[in-house]
Amino acid sequence: MCCRLRLKTFPPAARHGGIKRPAPGTGIKVHFKDSKGNHVKTIEGNEGDDLLSLAHEHDIDLEGACERSVACSTCHVIISPEHYDLLPEPEDDENDMLDMAFGLSDTSRLGCQVYLTKELDGMTATLPAATRNMFVDGHKPTHH
Amino acid sequence: MDKVAILGGGPSAFYVASRLLSRVPADRNRNLAVHMFDRLWSPHGLVRYGVAPDHPEVKNCTHKFDELAKDARFRYFGNVQVGPASGRPIPHVVRLPFDEIPRSYTHLVLAPGCPIPTTHPALPLSSRVIPALDLVHWYTQHPTHPHAPPLDGARHVTIIGQGNVALDVARMLLTSPDVLATYDVPLSVLEGLRTSAVEHVSIVGRRGPLQAAFTTKEARELMTISDASMALLDPVLLVPSADTKLSRQQTRVLDLLRKGSTTKSGTTKKTWSLDFFRAPTGIQESESRLRLSLAHTTLDAGLRAVATGATSALETDLVVTALGQQLDPSTPFYDDATRRIPVNASGNVLHPSGRPFKNVYASGWAAMGARGVLASTMINAYNVADNLAASLLGSDSLSPNFEEIMEKDVDPAPPALVREELEKGNVMSYEDWKIIDAEEVRKGAEMGKERERMGWEGAKAFLAASKTRA
Ligand SMILES: Cc1cc2nc3c(=O)[nH]c(=O)nc-3n(C[C@H](O)[C@H](O)[C@H](O)COP(=O)(O)OP(=O)(O)OC[C@H]3O[C@@H](n4cnc5c(N)ncnc54)[C@H](O)[C@@H]3O)c2cc1C
Ligand code: FES
Repeated sequence: MCCRLRLKTFPPAARHGGIKRPAPGTGIKVHFKDSKGNHVKTIEGNEGDDLLSLAHEHDIDLEGACERSVACSTCHVIISPEHYDLLPEPEDDENDMLDMAFGLSDTSRLGCQVYLTKELDGMTATLPAATRNMFVDGHKPTHH
Repeated sequence: MDKVAILGGGPSAFYVASRLLSRVPADRNRNLAVHMFDRLWSPHGLVRYGVAPDHPEVKNCTHKFDELAKDARFRYFGNVQVGPASGRPIPHVVRLPFDEIPRSYTHLVLAPGCPIPTTHPALPLSSRVIPALDLVHWYTQHPTHPHAPPLDGARHVTIIGQGNVALDVARMLLTSPDVLATYDVPLSVLEGLRTSAVEHVSIVGRRGPLQAAFTTKEARELMTISDASMALLDPVLLVPSADTKLSRQQTRVLDLLRKGSTTKSGTTKKTWSLDFFRAPTGIQESESRLRLSLAHTTLDAGLRAVATGATSALETDLVVTALGQQLDPSTPFYDDATRRIPVNASGNVLHPSGRPFKNVYASGWAAMGARGVLASTMINAYNVADNLAASLLGSDSLSPNFEEIMEKDVDPAPPALVREELEKGNVMSYEDWKIIDAEEVRKGAEMGKERERMGWEGAKAFLAASKTRA
């Protein structure tokens, strides 16, 4: 693969990934959905763009805390199954981070590690559900 | 005006502030101020004083915090301790009584983290039985300045606990100082590591590989250290019983453990081991060595560790307890039963009666307990910030049955004490921190490393000098 570059070092990291927008109608289409499945935006990218950089370019709320270093899992997205199968297998380090991701599904990937190719045109990337109550269960104050 | 105080300046605090300021547009609510207080002079909590030096990518999150700090509505006040704090004191800290906060602010977010290490009842602390957090604070030069660990006399180190912090500490002790030298490891620490006698690190847990708290990522990092190898594990441990349903992470951890370290056992001077199903029951200190008594354990039906009756002893030189961390019991709103700040689903702090406090929130490890990587800390902080933003924008859904302590009408300035100490140079602003940050990176570059840290005195002197120059 040409583009599986990993920014394993400290800054400067490509925070905006050097994205150039294709002329409307000519790019690879990606539909972003929120955790409830509602359509957020359909955007167009070029071959080689990664989903995280694209999301940032188009102001979609996808975090990238480690700036594409495969060290945070905040860029986790769920890919449409038919497109997931077209992606190269995740490497060990990506799988290690996915182990820790919230709302993991069978077609989960790190957005910063998904690079567009022509065949991915029409792919959907859904933001995972961050279950609100998971942090507060079980520690309501008890009275003695 | 709306004036929010955030107690603590760790990632949780920064994620709350960043989300809040992005949710409340500057034009819509010109009168919003967010003041963040940390007892440490430098910002970012455990990202600076916890995350291991060989995890520089994790620290990239601070770029987002730097962006946030450019918002004119935000101010950081470092070296200000709000209310009391247990544990080793920071001699130069400015003490702001807690009562000043409800008097000077309309809203409060508590994000003090969990700074107190959990100890083991059978292992009283001494110069050779130390909490992992002391070691972490040593290699990050935390302002509480713990003693350097006695590594020059420690050929065998035993870590009690098998979470990520245990593995961080093991990696620091086993990685060659030449490798660590390019990272953010202070020179004095590198010196200590170069004279270290450590040859073996035993990582002891009372349960098995499927229950271990470490993540695959951390285990893999230990497996791939170039000049340390893992002692072979008993293969029986790596075969789950037929009726066990393994999670994805469990399957991957077992695979990793089966493969073992990339450098094979017997080929390196330094070694490490994962000692499963062992629980410490006592320790005898003689002049030369420590003798750690271990009960052998197995799992009961509820997957709890229970003693089998068999015992053994481990001769060792240094015991490091990595058993997690706790909220400081002197924190306001501390709940004895849960050892956390009690909150409801919106992050509102709860009164012992169960009623929520209006305009008082808690976030991060202090509210969740000391577990979870930055990603989970962030998600929790965003939930709190969204609810706080909703309340500022008037779409709050708090039931009318609440407790109230925060003032409604306040002036925009920080409390008088903070103002005075700021003028004297005893409080660190974010702008001043960025000057120090740049200087640390500059110094580091000269030495071929990520950064060379400064302490409070050095930072203060540098700022004073750069201000007279300007
Ligand atoms: C050793 C260690 C290594 C870690 N490594 C990683 C890693 O590699 N990757 C990862 O994703 N996560 C890691 N984590 C987890 C991560 O650090 C936490 O998820 C996160 O820091 C929790 O944020 P917090 O803001 O709640 O707490 P903290 O980061 O602890 O921040 C709390 C802040 O509040 C301040 N404070 C406390 N009391 C007061 C007071 N009275 N007045 C003023 N200030 C006060 C403290 O000084 C501190 O700066 C690690 C944790 C530890 C302990
Ligand atoms: S941005 Fe951190 S893993 Fe993708």
